[in-house]
Amino acid sequence: MIPGLAGIVIKSVRFYKRPVLYQVLIVALLSAVITGSLLTGWSVRASLKKTAAEHHGNAAILITSGTRTFDLALAERLRDSAKLNSTGVLEINGFCQNLSTQKGVYNTHIFAVSPGFFRFQGCDTVRINSGEVAVNEKIANSLGLKKGDDLIIRFNETGDIPADAPFAPAKEEGRSVVMKVGIVLGPAASGNFSLEISQAVPENIFINLQDIIKDQTSPVKINRLLVANNNSLTAEAVYDILKKAMQPSDLGLRLIPLRKTGGYELRSDRTFIESSLIGEIHDQIPASAPLITYLGNRFSCRTASAPYSFISALPESLYPEIPEGNDMIINRWLAEDLAINKGDTIEMAWYAPDSLSRLIEKKENFCVKRIVDMEGIWADSLLMPDFPGISGSESCSEWDAGVPVKLKEIRQKDEAYWNKFKGTPKAFISYDKGTGLWGNNFGPATAIRFPEDIGGAEILERLSGNLDPAKNGLRIIDLFNDSQTAASESVDFSTLFLSLGFFLILAAVVLLSFAVTTYLESKHSQIRTYFALGFRTRWIGQLLMAESGSISLMGCFIGSFAGILTSMLIIRLLNTVWQGAVQTNTLSAFFSLTPVFTGFLISAVLTGVFLVLKIRLHLKKLNRGKKTFHSPPSRFWNLIFLVFSLMVSLAFFILSVINRDKEILLCFVSGSILLVFMILLWRYYLIRPGNLLSPGTGITGMLSKLYYSYYPSHAVVPVLFIAAGIFAVFITGANRMSFNGSQLKPSGGTGGFLLWCDNTIPVRSDLATTTGRAAYALDDAELSEMRVVQIKRFAGDDASCLNLNHVKAPPVLGADPSEFISRGSFSFASAVKRDGVTNPWEFLSIPASENTIYGIADQTVLEWGLKIKPGDTLIIRSENGQRLNIIIAAGLKSSVFQGYILIGLENFKRYFPSVPGTSVFLVDGDKNLTDLYRNTLNERFENNGLRAETTNDRLAAFNEVTNTYLSVFGVFGALGMVTGIAGLGFVLLRNYNYRKREFGLMLATGFPIKRIRRLVFSEQLIILSAGIISGVLPAVISTLPSLKSSADIPWLYLVLMVIVIFVQEF
Amino acid sequence: MLSLRNISKSFIQRGLVLDNLSLDVSAGDTLAIMGPSGSGKTTLMNIIGLLEKPDSGMITFLGNDIRNYNDDESALYRSSNIGFVFQDHLLLPHLTVRENILLPILALKQSRAEAQMKEEEAFTLMRKTGISELSAKYPGTISGGEAQRAALVRALVNKPSILLADEPTGSLDADNAEIMGELLSEMNSELGITLILATHSDKLAGKMARTMILGHGKLI
Repeated sequence: MIPGLAGIVIKSVRFYKRPVLYQVLIVALLSAVITGSLLTGWSVRASLKKTAAEHHGNAAILITSGTRTFDLALAERLRDSAKLNSTGVLEINGFCQNLSTQKGVYNTHIFAVSPGFFRFQGCDTVRINSGEVAVNEKIANSLGLKKGDDLIIRFNETGDIPADAPFAPAKEEGRSVVMKVGIVLGPAASGNFSLEISQAVPENIFINLQDIIKDQTSPVKINRLLVANNNSLTAEAVYDILKKAMQPSDLGLRLIPLRKTGGYELRSDRTFIESSLIGEIHDQIPASAPLITYLGNRFSCRTASAPYSFISALPESLYPEIPEGNDMIINRWLAEDLAINKGDTIEMAWYAPDSLSRLIEKKENFCVKRIVDMEGIWADSLLMPDFPGISGSESCSEWDAGVPVKLKEIRQKDEAYWNKFKGTPKAFISYDKGTGLWGNNFGPATAIRFPEDIGGAEILERLSGNLDPAKNGLRIIDLFNDSQTAASESVDFSTLFLSLGFFLILAAVVLLSFAVTTYLESKHSQIRTYFALGFRTRWIGQLLMAESGSISLMGCFIGSFAGILTSMLIIRLLNTVWQGAVQTNTLSAFFSLTPVFTGFLISAVLTGVFLVLKIRLHLKKLNRGKKTFHSPPSRFWNLIFLVFSLMVSLAFFILSVINRDKEILLCFVSGSILLVFMILLWRYYLIRPGNLLSPGTGITGMLSKLYYSYYPSHAVVPVLFIAAGIFAVFITGANRMSFNGSQLKPSGGTGGFLLWCDNTIPVRSDLATTTGRAAYALDDAELSEMRVVQIKRFAGDDASCLNLNHVKAPPVLGADPSEFISRGSFSFASAVKRDGVTNPWEFLSIPASENTIYGIADQTVLEWGLKIKPGDTLIIRSENGQRLNIIIAAGLKSSVFQGYILIGLENFKRYFPSVPGTSVFLVDGDKNLTDLYRNTLNERFENNGLRAETTNDRLAAFNEVTNTYLSVFGVFGALGMVTGIAGLGFVLLRNYNYRKREFGLMLATGFPIKRIRRLVFSEQLIILSAGIISGVLPAVISTLPSLKSSADIPWLYLVLMVIVIFVQEF
Repeated sequence: MLSLRNISKSFIQRGLVLDNLSLDVSAGDTLAIMGPSGSGKTTLMNIIGLLEKPDSGMITFLGNDIRNYNDDESALYRSSNIGFVFQDHLLLPHLTVRENILLPILALKQSRAEAQMKEEEAFTLMRKTGISELSAKYPGTISGGEAQRAALVRALVNKPSILLADEPTGSLDADNAEIMGELLSEMNSELGITLILATHSDKLAGKMARTMILGHGKLI
């Protein structure tokens, strides 16, 4: 029986066991790295999905009002009428302390829940008793809490009226309660419940909703409504259901009958009514009209003045007599008080609406067009809005108007007016004029009035089911799908580990090349025989391909299984020593056929292509008419490339000296090319003429040189491996993100600021003012140089490198960029161009246009977190649910703002008006007093849950991620090199096989075996030295900028590596 | 049958090896080419077998110019007309003696019946050369002489017109060299195969009808 091709292949593979085993192992290594990387990526994403599912529990769709609240009745109505399995939650931020140890946890998520919450989550047995709280294991572990311990909880109190709204009553910044820990919840009992998209385990406190409500008679307000998984339920369907179920009261609108004028008006619990809502109501009831009533500080005419009066700006449609522009109607009482006649000019003063307690008084003159008697529509006390600190007051002196009231200026007659007429406005102007003066970010009206002929029931009927939730601060989020998508689009660990394992893959490919070459060389005479027997080249190629291919397939198959183990190992390392890269220890190793099969396929294709090329080349050489002997290497081309690479390297080095801005990149390129030069130089040394018989060279040395000059690759490849490995480890160490002087400069990542402060309870005082500083006792002389830049914050999903998920709604910071411009703070990696803008920070001051503003973020956040670039538009939702287009104007170089989108302060206040005070400080001053500043701020703002850290510590936390990746790269690089060197063992064996005759000759001519051993030892020592020099020198050039700033070179690691190589070589 | 005209061949390292060489070989002819090492004997054999291409000159086989044959045509020429015997037997170590001998049948596209017939003829040759008992053995387990006889049978399996033997007794002891020489002569006389062999052995050359000396690139 004649053996077929398959039979020959099988027999050959069985016969050449050792070379086959080498090839199988090398391909298996290659396949294991590829499959392991792919499976790791898959596992990370699967873990993120699992974590998201665990955090969300049964909540599939979220209805959120952001910083606002809505009536729990809406949740109940949805549950009862639409049969939605839902539960309402009030989510608030706060911090907590163990009462006995005073140890605290900042940025705590406090969920005020009804008993139905745990039922909703499928944890029927969990109950929180009144006066008790449940904490999750993370908090319990952090604070050492157990059942029965007392816990101080301080949180940001929610309310209908935004804290910064005009005339909002002054409230304490946050509220504290002391509760007992009733239960510690594990992940299975929803302890890690979170509505954020992040793999980080949250720090949660669950509290009974009833325990957090101050006024038990008021409707219970919530800000999150969770809707459970239901296959047929989509976010769109929930939106429709919500819209149909929504009533004006759900949005805090109350219908008030008007005694004086007849008809009704709608008032908002927020006092001011937003334009979008006015528009919606107008769409349903065109006859409706908004009005605004404001508190003036003073009316003055000539020498007389009257303090604290309400003025109404009325719509012409309902008040046809109202004059336009700067004409004013005043009532008889005011006219008599100030002795005003028709046609006189009256000056009105008022506080312009602003946050941060900045009191800016404005004044304007009006012409008295008419004086009206205190009767009918002109004596309408209902025109005064429900300013909570004013409305219920018995006297003017009791007012809590949110602004300073000068009690001394209040006269007896003013008190008498208040007693008799309450807040009845004393003056009237047109709505258009009034809204221009007092319209603010919270809305342009304090009420919407309807004509007399429209009844209350009709108003409610026409509005119910017709108000768009999305335009009124309610967002419907497909929580489940969004978080799964965020996980699917998360940091691609497959590519990352393939990149990090580049050296290992490269080592495997080089080894494969050696193994295949050796294998083919060993079959040289056989191939010649096949040719001689008349086999076609194609058939021989097929035979060789079938042989090598089947061996490779075996390697791929084994490697795929090894890849599973590799992935498990990587996941374990990510959960432990490499946790810095993933910020969690909850990753799990998942198995899926897809990445394993893909890894197998990639490895198979890669080795297949490689084998085809290698075999074709080999056959081409062996085929007739081609030279079948080894050719001496070309010195000419070596010299050309040598000189060329040196020149290019030098050119880049000179450029790096000239262009300091790009010094790091240019030095790296220069060093990398120098590495090529060093290898070529080594090769040229081996093959250069005159070297072989140079005087003083011993016979053994001469033989070595003769051999390596003829086969330079046998000495070049080990040097290449050693040099590349040392280069990789060196640059990895030198490029570790560490602190240097440049980071502390204003242009560095710290912006030149000393401290970054993060507070859970917003600070409402302006710390640039004397009174603001005094409120926190920051007026000590030693703090005189301390300057604070206050920044507002709107919560979102962390977009820094600490979050692996692909985030679409990052947290937003509102900052006044003028301070950054004047200080020259921070540097930009990229920016868009616009006429008139010289500094990218100036983009933040450009006013909004059609819901479009400019924003700035860290380049890293843009590239990795948000996957956008300058010029792109990031669409987020403003506080009231409107689409807010943020055009990315610039990308910051690595800075303390990582994770955030920065917008201008004015734009922030416009689109997120309900966000009170500021939550982030950047602090500067005398750097010798940094510790004093930090301790003082931590102490003075303790009630705000402020945590001050040095800006370099904050940057270091972000750098840890990069540094961990670099560590992984270093480990993989070293592993690749060690593997390469280990694999080179058989290459060296082949070298010495080649030289059998040479050694035999030496022995035959009387050389002692010791001398031959010394020859081999010397050769390897020279190769090792050449490798070290060729690696270190380019690495030094590559990392010169880092070395100049005393970067951390892993000398110990390098020495250990050299020792390992040394041991392996011998 | 085979004609080489003005064949020249040179190598970078060795310089001119064949210099305007011409040779005519008739069917059934036996020719020994002798010459010192490096004189170009192997190169000449390789050129005849189209394993190497001459720099210039013309090669005709049965009147056809075969010098510019492409790879497939060359392979077909070798498998149909040429049998090679090398100094080292070059049996494939992973195949048995029998499999090695039958291997050339795979190189030719032929019917199952033809292949079977050649297989039977191969067994006959194996018996004739005294290696039929070694059929299932691997080359590594047999002697050099046996391996060279197996290589001879392998070269004859496809019934070539020309047998090219490059130092066929070079690695054999005197007894085995004698046997090999006898076998080669028998194959020529019994099968009518044209025999061209390169050798240093006067004894072996003496068995051939013609002996030519290759020196300075020319045949004398």
